[in-house]
Amino acid sequence: MTVEAPVFEETPPQVEPARGPTDWARKNLFNNWYNSLLTVALAAFVVWALLALVRGLLGADYEIIRANLRLFMIGEFPADQLWRPWAATYCFAVLFGTVGGSLAAEARDRATEAGLPNVSTTLRQILIRFWPILVLIVVILSFTTTITPTLLTVGALAVGLGAYYLGRAMPRAIRRWTWLLAILLIAASYLALAGFGGVGWQGWGGLHLNLFLTFTGILVAFPFGLLLAMGRRSSLPVIRTISVTYIELVRGVPLIAVLIAGAFAVGFIIPRDVRPGFVTRMLIAIIAFEAAYIAEVVRGGLQAVPRGQVEAAQAVGLAPWKTMRLIVLPQALRATIPAMVGQFISLFKDTTLVAVLGITELLEATFVVNSQPAYLGKGLFVVTLSFAALIFWVGCYTMSRESRRLERKLGVGER
Amino acid sequence: MTTAVDYSDATRATGEAIIELEGVDKFFGDFQALKGIDMRVGQQEVVVVIGPSGGGKSTLIRCINRLEKHDGGRVTVDGIELSDDIRNIQEVRRETGMVFQSFNLFPHITVLDNVTLAPRQVRKMPKKEAEALAMQMLTRVKIPEQARKYPGQLSGGQQQRVAIARALAMQPKVMLFDEPTSALDPEMIKEVLDVMVELARGGMTMIVVTHEMGFARAVANRVVFMADGEIVEVGTPEHFFTDPQEERTKLFLSQIL
Repeated sequence: MTVEAPVFEETPPQVEPARGPTDWARKNLFNNWYNSLLTVALAAFVVWALLALVRGLLGADYEIIRANLRLFMIGEFPADQLWRPWAATYCFAVLFGTVGGSLAAEARDRATEAGLPNVSTTLRQILIRFWPILVLIVVILSFTTTITPTLLTVGALAVGLGAYYLGRAMPRAIRRWTWLLAILLIAASYLALAGFGGVGWQGWGGLHLNLFLTFTGILVAFPFGLLLAMGRRSSLPVIRTISVTYIELVRGVPLIAVLIAGAFAVGFIIPRDVRPGFVTRMLIAIIAFEAAYIAEVVRGGLQAVPRGQVEAAQAVGLAPWKTMRLIVLPQALRATIPAMVGQFISLFKDTTLVAVLGITELLEATFVVNSQPAYLGKGLFVVTLSFAALIFWVGCYTMSRESRRLERKLGVGER
Repeated sequence: MTTAVDYSDATRATGEAIIELEGVDKFFGDFQALKGIDMRVGQQEVVVVIGPSGGGKSTLIRCINRLEKHDGGRVTVDGIELSDDIRNIQEVRRETGMVFQSFNLFPHITVLDNVTLAPRQVRKMPKKEAEALAMQMLTRVKIPEQARKYPGQLSGGQQQRVAIARALAMQPKVMLFDEPTSALDPEMIKEVLDVMVELARGGMTMIVVTHEMGFARAVANRVVFMADGEIVEVGTPEHFFTDPQEERTKLFLSQIL
């Protein structure tokens, strides 16, 4: 069988480099009559759609977002308890700042020791890296009615930045305890939200709940996923069978089915007085679901570690579990970073599925506000949905960019 | 390809046996990779194993530290007979260092950490002591200045020398080399062979799978020619260069020399 090469009559075999935008357009968009027609028609449609969206958004009444901003952000958290989410926000500002700073310092020290060039991060680079988040913060703050949230947010950013530089300046001996500080700060933030008459996660909602479900879901699912991945490669048939069955069973079911099972089916099995609350059940369902996916991601990473690495570790007499912990896992997990962030991004979006069970997370909140008497039937879905879309897009886009950056830094794909 | 490196004058007495193979068989599915191999290696002896690829050379030395499990016969290293007992296997592996064709350095940790890993994790040596030992070994392979670098920053020859230092740091009684120079560029082969020659002259017991006949001539007490899973001919390097007996040996030597 012979394959004939496609013939391009319009384009000469030697493609000349385009000299300017006009040349480029003539060559790529208007090179014959039907391409020109298509270009004009598509351009008209895109312009029309954009204009419609912009007109819709510009002319819209943003009162619906202004009045419901708190619902979008933290759900039905009591208005007189607002200091609690703010306190938690400050805890996380310190957490991200310190961890980020000490990681940067660690990378800097290692690079220096290995004689590699080290580029330290400047404030300008941080701004460029996180511009979508900063834009989002400005957009959200533009919907606030008093100056307090703006001041508190600027304060939190300042505290975070301060913590970053503090973390970078910490000597190595103290830096080793950053993980302990992180755990303490997470505990403190939960205490600030729920302790002493606060609201536990059963009462959380809005974007706050989406973030909580995503982070907790991934963090708790990770160790289980790791065990399942290793179980799948185990030489013991019983462990291997259990792992494979679990992974394939869960991966063959949509997340929403697992959530519905967690919400309703579990209710029949567990007696009412010991039954965990709705959000807890959702969280457990998410963890059970994510563990199976993480297991497959980790398995991919384990397979990426060459056989020679294990042999070299064995040859120097390293015990099997130490070979796994010191040689295989560090390399395997590094190789899984892109896929793991992908999993994280999709879980962040998937947390909106808990809305089906009547939990007011961000997306559900942007829906229900349209049923409020003041806005009913005014067709403001485009406003509220655009707002939710912006938040999700900024979150996912930032994670995706950070993952690519991390990949480059760790040299995934290079050996 | 071979490089002509002249290492003259190396004679050594064969001491007490440290490695004994008796009727060792190894199967990969239906394929028999080793067919009843008998071999004794004395203390401080240097044995070079040559032969066509697929002849069982690598499998042979990989059976000595249990990277491959032999299916029949007995393998005894330093008085310990290899069995399925993991502790027994660990014990043998502590006494045998191995150098691979593809280096197999751990890419995610520094050169120094590559060398200190086993002494610290297996011999439970304190960090300071392990690092001093590692620097000593890196000096022995002539790259102490690379200690803080990562394997990926080094050339192939340097990586292989780190791999030798890593194996030596366990202070093994036997060193196994599985085609240590086959993956190297020609100009780097010599720096690795030089280290190996020094090691041999220092009295290390070595089994080396290689086609570097210059190396064999310089330090080997015995050369073993393997083909089709069998030992075809054994002799001194001199014997192989001047008076090989078997047809298969002659054919092979005519191809590589």
